[in-house]
Amino acid sequence: MHPLRKQRLITFLVIFFAISIAILLVVRGLSSNLNLFYTPTELKNSSEIKGINIRAGGMVLKDSVVKSKTSLEVQFQITDYENNLLVKYSGVLPDLFSEDAGVVVQGNLAKDGSFQATEVLAKHDENYMPPEVANALKKDDS
Amino acid sequence: MIVEVGFLFLISAMVISFMGSLVPLVWSFNKETNLTSLISPIIVLVFLFTLSSLSILIYSFSIDDFSVKYVAQNSNINLPIYYKLSATWGAHEGSLLLWIFLLCSWSLFYILKEKDLSKDITGSILLQIIFFFIAFTVFTSNPFERLLPVVPQNGVDLNPLLQDFAFTIHPPILYLGYAGLAIPFAMSVSSLLQNSVNQDWARRTRPWVLMATGFLTLGITIGSWWAYYELGWGGWWFWDPVENAAFVPWLMAVALIHSLIVSEKRGHFKNWSVLLSILAFSMSLLGTFLVRSGILTSVHAFALDPERGVFLLGIFTYFVIGSLIIFSFKNTNKIPETGYTTTSKEFGFLLNNIFLVILGIAIMFGTLFPLIYEAIFDGKQISVGRPYYDTLIIPFAIGLAFLQVVALFFSWGKTENLSILKALAIYSFLFFILLVSISYLVFEELYFSSILSLVLFTIILLGNLLSLKQKERSKYLAQIYTKTGSTLAHIGTAFFVLGVGFVSSYSFEREIILSKGQTYELAGNNFKFERIIKESQQNYSADKATFTVESKNNSFTLNTEKRFYPSSNQVMSEAGIRPTLIKDYYVTLGEELDTDIWSFRIQIKTLVRWIWFGALLVTIGTFISSRRNFRHRNE
Repeated sequence: MHPLRKQRLITFLVIFFAISIAILLVVRGLSSNLNLFYTPTELKNSSEIKGINIRAGGMVLKDSVVKSKTSLEVQFQITDYENNLLVKYSGVLPDLFSEDAGVVVQGNLAKDGSFQATEVLAKHDENYMPPEVANALKKDDS
Repeated sequence: MIVEVGFLFLISAMVISFMGSLVPLVWSFNKETNLTSLISPIIVLVFLFTLSSLSILIYSFSIDDFSVKYVAQNSNINLPIYYKLSATWGAHEGSLLLWIFLLCSWSLFYILKEKDLSKDITGSILLQIIFFFIAFTVFTSNPFERLLPVVPQNGVDLNPLLQDFAFTIHPPILYLGYAGLAIPFAMSVSSLLQNSVNQDWARRTRPWVLMATGFLTLGITIGSWWAYYELGWGGWWFWDPVENAAFVPWLMAVALIHSLIVSEKRGHFKNWSVLLSILAFSMSLLGTFLVRSGILTSVHAFALDPERGVFLLGIFTYFVIGSLIIFSFKNTNKIPETGYTTTSKEFGFLLNNIFLVILGIAIMFGTLFPLIYEAIFDGKQISVGRPYYDTLIIPFAIGLAFLQVVALFFSWGKTENLSILKALAIYSFLFFILLVSISYLVFEELYFSSILSLVLFTIILLGNLLSLKQKERSKYLAQIYTKTGSTLAHIGTAFFVLGVGFVSSYSFEREIILSKGQTYELAGNNFKFERIIKESQQNYSADKATFTVESKNNSFTLNTEKRFYPSSNQVMSEAGIRPTLIKDYYVTLGEELDTDIWSFRIQIKTLVRWIWFGALLVTIGTFISSRRNFRHRNE
């Protein structure tokens, strides 16, 4: 084979190989690391999503936060102003977590319909509201 | 009054930068009218105008002029003076102005540094970029907008997270990196237009890319360090969209640095280098837009401010599509006769580029995927988790590390003698066994990531040191002189990888409850909760907890605070950190559960400092290399 052609063939094969690996990693990565986002209303009406890792978002309902005095257990309700969802968590809450503020929790739906959170994410902005909640509120207004 | 002057300066800068950007157009219509001699004075003027404009905004912050909306929203009368100044770039409008000013500074530096400007239209391309950004600021994000007639007494406040030293320097340095990528982009486009994409072009462009990359590296490093101590989670990288938006341009810039070497020395990959410089700048623009348009929180957030979003998308499309069209018509470069084999430096750099670019695209894809998903599935939202990026980057990091080492020993064209690789393998193996044994003795456990990072550390470190070796002693010094920059940068990646591997292997984290006087033991270290007091400062009040930590060979105190900022009604934890060369002791205050009973997060981070040390070496190496290339090309 002509050296120049051989060189091109090798280059092409390498690029092809690298892209294939990247696509494989991207597809595998995306299929196992996607977290779907739900609102309390969607979680109430859906029965198939129990057990898998998901995210839920809403506003923390006023006066719903119950903290243990002897452990890091905490539970609170999040709301999209249509339905509420009970969230249970064990750990230190982030600085920006407060009542009447937006919050996103990651974890899974327990059998009793409560949400077992492994992570509580409060955004770095005191005015943050999960977009779904903002949308739900907008629908209420109109 | 002075505020209006600031706005007027900005408008003037917009108008004259527009005129300056017309030079190539006039020239293409009439070959006799070469107005390139006008470009330099225009750049000087635009620089002075934007400098004045930025100074006036900073001045408005310093005198608490709350009649200016932007000042009122991002500052407060009780803010310490240095944070008032850095609050200038605390939000969208001010950081845009800073971005523009820095791009003007780069342009000024360009006309000062380049010798022959008589036919150079690069400055004109830069003015075009400057024009669009000033227009965007003036029409959609004016920082000088007044709040009249009702002037607030007090400002809202600067986000407490941003009231910090690292934050005062992080944005300017990062933006210097972002904006700096405009220089190689403009040089590529102007050379395309003038059919002068050649080896000399590559030689002239390379030091600019190196310098921009140096700033980008430093900016990202400071950001990572800031997140580590300020966010209170002890993480140094979160794969947050904002971080990815800086990391992807960095990957492209690093690819460009390497492909330009081949273009300069061998004449290969010239088209590819041009394309990469377009890609690097596009990613830097995309990064700015993603972060600034708010689109990343949700496609819906984009609609909240359609004017800004559409404008930014317009600028992005104009430059990317425009430069790609020019590229497709003008890439008439001939491939040189000299070929190369699979054991050549050319081939090594080719693989390096493929890896870097594909990695960059895959990361960008993950970052944008939630938007794509939301658009396809009618508003259904998802997020891409950390493991996606972690599994993605490991194989590429391994590949790039081995490639780096092997390519160091390759010659141009074809490598005749590869026996030195055998020696390297033997040395590396022995050194690796030594390091693994030490790690095992110290930490009593080995993990996949600690072993992997030791392998990569060993081969990169020894490979780079061995590559300096020359047969004749007289050449030894010359070799060290020419390769100082690249060797430092490469060795920096070794320390970086070691830090990353060890932090993920030998870190401990516990969330616990302690009452006053109680002690908790973590990995052989005793953390004793001594006391907690209330404290009041100029613009916040705080609970301040004090710990005594006793480790094997020393004892020290740690203070951690939870601050409350009344003006913005925000709570912020300040982590207590004791940095040492090997370990960081890290305590964050949680909340009060009962009288004198508090929750805490206690962490030990092994070799975390080495991550930033490695990144700093990369920065220094890149700057040294840039300086040497500037000198070298003028000889």
